[in-house]
Amino acid sequence: MIFTLIRLELFKTYAKWRTYIGFITVGAVIPLIMWLMSYAGDNMMNAQTRSLQNDFFITGNLFNGWTISQFIMNSLWLHVPILISLVAGDQLSGEATAGTFRLVLIRPVSRLKFLNAKYLTTLLYTASLVICIAVLSIGFGLWLFGSGDLLSVESDGITILPEHVLWIRFLLAYTLAIWSMFVIASLSFFISSFVENAIGPIVITIVIIFISLIITNLPIDAVAAYKPYFFTTYFTVWKEAFNSTIDWSKIFYSCAMLGINNIFFYTATVIIFRRKDILS
Amino acid sequence: MSEIILQTENLSKQYKQRWAVRNVNLEVRRGDVFGFLGPNGAGKSTTIRMILSLIKPAEGTVELFGHNLFREREKALQNVAGIVEKPDFYLYLSAHRNMEIAGAMTLGKKPEKKKILETLASVGLEERAEDKVKTFSHGMKQRLGIAQALLCEPQLILLDEPTNGLDPQGMKEVRELIAMLSGKRGITVFLSSHLLHEVEQVATRMAIINNGRMIVQGSVDEILHASINTMFFDVEPKKKALSVLQKLNCVTAPTLTNEGITAQVAKKDIPKCIAALGSARCKIYTVRPKQSLEEYFLAVTNNEEQHR
Repeated sequence: MIFTLIRLELFKTYAKWRTYIGFITVGAVIPLIMWLMSYAGDNMMNAQTRSLQNDFFITGNLFNGWTISQFIMNSLWLHVPILISLVAGDQLSGEATAGTFRLVLIRPVSRLKFLNAKYLTTLLYTASLVICIAVLSIGFGLWLFGSGDLLSVESDGITILPEHVLWIRFLLAYTLAIWSMFVIASLSFFISSFVENAIGPIVITIVIIFISLIITNLPIDAVAAYKPYFFTTYFTVWKEAFNSTIDWSKIFYSCAMLGINNIFFYTATVIIFRRKDILS
Repeated sequence: MSEIILQTENLSKQYKQRWAVRNVNLEVRRGDVFGFLGPNGAGKSTTIRMILSLIKPAEGTVELFGHNLFREREKALQNVAGIVEKPDFYLYLSAHRNMEIAGAMTLGKKPEKKKILETLASVGLEERAEDKVKTFSHGMKQRLGIAQALLCEPQLILLDEPTNGLDPQGMKEVRELIAMLSGKRGITVFLSSHLLHEVEQVATRMAIINNGRMIVQGSVDEILHASINTMFFDVEPKKKALSVLQKLNCVTAPTLTNEGITAQVAKKDIPKCIAALGSARCKIYTVRPKQSLEEYFLAVTNNEEQHR
């Protein structure tokens, strides 16, 4: 039964126009960034490496597809949550607004199964959007700018990652990015369980992300003790994939904390949704 | 007596301090067309939503086909379908796709395309099967609602105010459809309405609810005739007929009016009255209850209001 429900939810989600807003946006923005980079990218790279050029002799193609792809990841990771909440925030509230809960929740299917199918669909959409960004940015990047080593800026210096490890590093980075974005999807999904319109979850999700980001980036000792409780503290775990040495314990810890957030939001959604009276 | 397929026991729902439904005990038997009658805001939709598990009751139980709705939800709802208030669909999908979703959620697998098209044809929507529902009129959505309810061949259908917003032709079609469901397909129909004549025309059994409380339940005949025994005789010549009726012991307070004669007569004694009038060569045009279901409904709901 659960597979039938997932199939139905996937069909419903991907039959909606709003689902494609995210794909169209990244499909337009990524080529635009590439096009702009093809004009101004060299200058940007020279500016970044000017101080290095005084001490080092740099050869090869540092301004390559991998660099562009990492640049896009750095640029878009704050915007992708908006695109995710467009769909995740509509999953339950959209049914409430349309009145279709009255069509589906009178069927001999438990609310938990229905919710599980919707949640898995939301996660699949989230993953598919991040994968789309990965394919477009790496694919277009390598096609237009070629391959090469990656110049990666760390907190304590600059690392040049050799070309042959980059496939694995990017695979890890995008996998971690998907895991981070699952928290956004779970948060939006949770909010959509107690509101009756689709705009509310989107706005509330974005507000929560921005407030959390502001708090977790404040260089104030008074908030330091609270930072571990904000999911945004672990949000940039994907950046660990570009360090010279991968700190697996940090990655596992961050992933576990993000996972706990997912579990918390989903459990709260289940509790609310199972008790919810369908009055719309 | 036929099997009880829907039973509620002390079903209640409270919103803050107000009881929307209080201690409703319903019994619907297999084969009934059960009219659930009440004015707007009486608690009909809340009761139906509780029966279909859209709303959690504050108290009480619902049993469907012998299964407790809250403990064995999937078994309880397996043979049940319904339309709650107006039928809503995924407007961005076609009628066919909407039927597929509704069917798959009941059957656990995609229903056969042939079956979907046959069901759409039964409500006259086969030509519009692939059109998006957002292009449908209210009447078409109502028919699609009935089609999705029928798709999985339920044994019980709950219809919440099915003629709401329909024109007279649409209302007639729905009444005919209910008669067809009950007669040809043997489906038990639970029909809520605030339109008294609608229930009077199609229901075999009924319950009346007002202010969240059930006032009466029984067969339409019982309710009308057990408590309503004022009969109207359209008969000629009136004076002769009046004297005939006055002589009968089973007739109380016969009164001559401009239209005919009214008198208190038990249902079982009506043939005796007709025979006596016939023997006296009176021409009998009509004998009918003086009080319609509508009058009865208004009387009991007003009476209930006065006792509150």
